[in-house]
Amino acid sequence: MIEVESLTKRYGTVRAVDELSFTAHSGAVTGFLGPNGAGKSTTMRVVVGLERPTSGTATVDGRRYADLAAPLHAVGVMLDARSVHPGRTAFRHLLAQARTHGISRKRVDEVIGMTGLESVAGRRAGTFSLGMGQRLGIAGALLGDPGTLILDEPVNGLDPDGVLWVRRLVRELADEGRTVLLSSHLMHELALCADRVVIIGKGRLLADAPVQEIIDRSTGAASLEDAYLQLTADSVQYRGRSADDSATTPTAGSTR
Amino acid sequence: MSAPAASSATQVPARGRTAGRGATFARVVASEWTKLTSLRSSFLLAAATVAVSWALTYVSANASSVDPGFDPLSSLTSGLVLSPLGLMILGVLVGTGEFSTGTFRSTFTAVPRRLPVLAAQVVVTAAFALVVALLAVGAAVLGIVPAAGSREINLDLTGDGTPLVLAGMTLYLAGMALFGLAVGALLRHSARAVVTAVTVTLVLPIVLMLASDLSTDPMAPAESGPPPAEAVVNTIVTLLPSGAGSLMTTPDISGIEGAPDLGPWGGGAVLGAWILVPLAGAAVRLRARDVT
Ligand SMILES: Nc1ncnc2c1ncn2[C@@H]1O[C@H](COP(=O)(O)OP(=O)(O)OP(=O)(O)O)[C@@H](O)[C@H]1O
Ligand SMILES: [Mg+2]
Repeated sequence: MIEVESLTKRYGTVRAVDELSFTAHSGAVTGFLGPNGAGKSTTMRVVVGLERPTSGTATVDGRRYADLAAPLHAVGVMLDARSVHPGRTAFRHLLAQARTHGISRKRVDEVIGMTGLESVAGRRAGTFSLGMGQRLGIAGALLGDPGTLILDEPVNGLDPDGVLWVRRLVRELADEGRTVLLSSHLMHELALCADRVVIIGKGRLLADAPVQEIIDRSTGAASLEDAYLQLTADSVQYRGRSADDSATTPTAGSTR
Repeated sequence: MSAPAASSATQVPARGRTAGRGATFARVVASEWTKLTSLRSSFLLAAATVAVSWALTYVSANASSVDPGFDPLSSLTSGLVLSPLGLMILGVLVGTGEFSTGTFRSTFTAVPRRLPVLAAQVVVTAAFALVVALLAVGAAVLGIVPAAGSREINLDLTGDGTPLVLAGMTLYLAGMALFGLAVGALLRHSARAVVTAVTVTLVLPIVLMLASDLSTDPMAPAESGPPPAEAVVNTIVTLLPSGAGSLMTTPDISGIEGAPDLGPWGGGAVLGAWILVPLAGAAVRLRARDVT
């Protein structure tokens, strides 16, 4: 279980996360949504102790991440596929991670098998495609057979087969009683695999409810995507324009 | 979600709890050793260090073998002008590798206390560098063999303080790897750290020496001792990592003119400070600040 309580993270004057509270329960997949720059990755970095909160707390199974006795067995983390030295082979990268917890080579081979990387395990990670890197990141998160998984955009860059695999994987993990917190921008995907979604905008909580409830509560929303777009309409900080629009009315939709 | 889900739901946390004792220091050391030895650059720099040590010593010994009073042992340390660079850069890369590549995310989520990682990097870098340093010193000995042979001089490595010279060379070389590590861990940026470390060890001494050479008037009468400017420059050069490290390899020479006579132990202590001070800075930065 992941508990985030009145969490605030400021970078200078930017409030990346602002008094955010939510809980990701065990046995469920919690989708973590929000526009670009909403603070999803920042929240995850604070939860796993890479960054300190400005105020508030974040705990996993009731403990601060830094106080976990065996973090890899408690929490599997994939924040960014570029968390690998490009000169190291996938196998050696995972082995180095495994060795911090005395995890066996056998388990390393296992997660390589689970993520389908057998044929490239001996290749340097710098030569990997986006999706291969993403799979390597997921393999690292699975190493310690953790009770909690924190995955930042895990399907980003995966092929359709990979997307389906991640969907099944997180479902299985949650059904085994684990906690899964997963951020994504793919609404259809989340509607298929998440039990509950936490939606944030500009660092603040916008909604925290089961997927169906979110849809039902929004007026006239037929899908999670509709509901999400309604909920975040005022929180989108970076909005694209069509080529025509930007040519004729350059200031329309300005975000500044 | 489905029926079998409920039955297995209780097993998971138990599995987590029974597994190992987490990231003990020995395990973090094993992990860092895997990291160090899984990069080609480590072995390339090690090979370069040994090769440079042999080549420079060989060339220098051959060049001076025509001197009437040629002592091959005096050429032993001639490789040290350049050979420490390879190990120093190896150390820098260990120190910056986490941050220049993003590996720090996987590393510090596995070891959230962070400091054990830095300590483990010191241990594995020291161990690896010590092996390479021994090979480099061996290569230096091989480098003087042909010159000694050409003058039919028997090499005796056991007498006359030579063992101390060899030990000093080894420690100087290994120390420079740790100096590189400390600078790398503090600055976290490979290019910046390499430039800083090379500047301090190689560029600064040369620039200072040249500047003092140019500023001293060669026609001035040699009074008692060197002029004050030269003494200051010599003192600074002696206190730089390379100058201090060199003192460890010259037990019977009392430093350079005008500089304090630190001796091999004093030199070692100064080099130690060059390692410990940036390392302490790196530890504070690692511990107190966000890793991003
Ligand atoms: N290290 C940092 N220094 C300064 N500002 C930062 C830093 N990290 C994040 N921010 C800012 O914090 C805000 C939240 O960023 P974050 O990466 O958490 O968003 P996100 O929800 O993950 O977005 P995306 O969907 O694009 O991944 C942004 O405004 C970002 O610019
Ligand atoms: Mg993000």
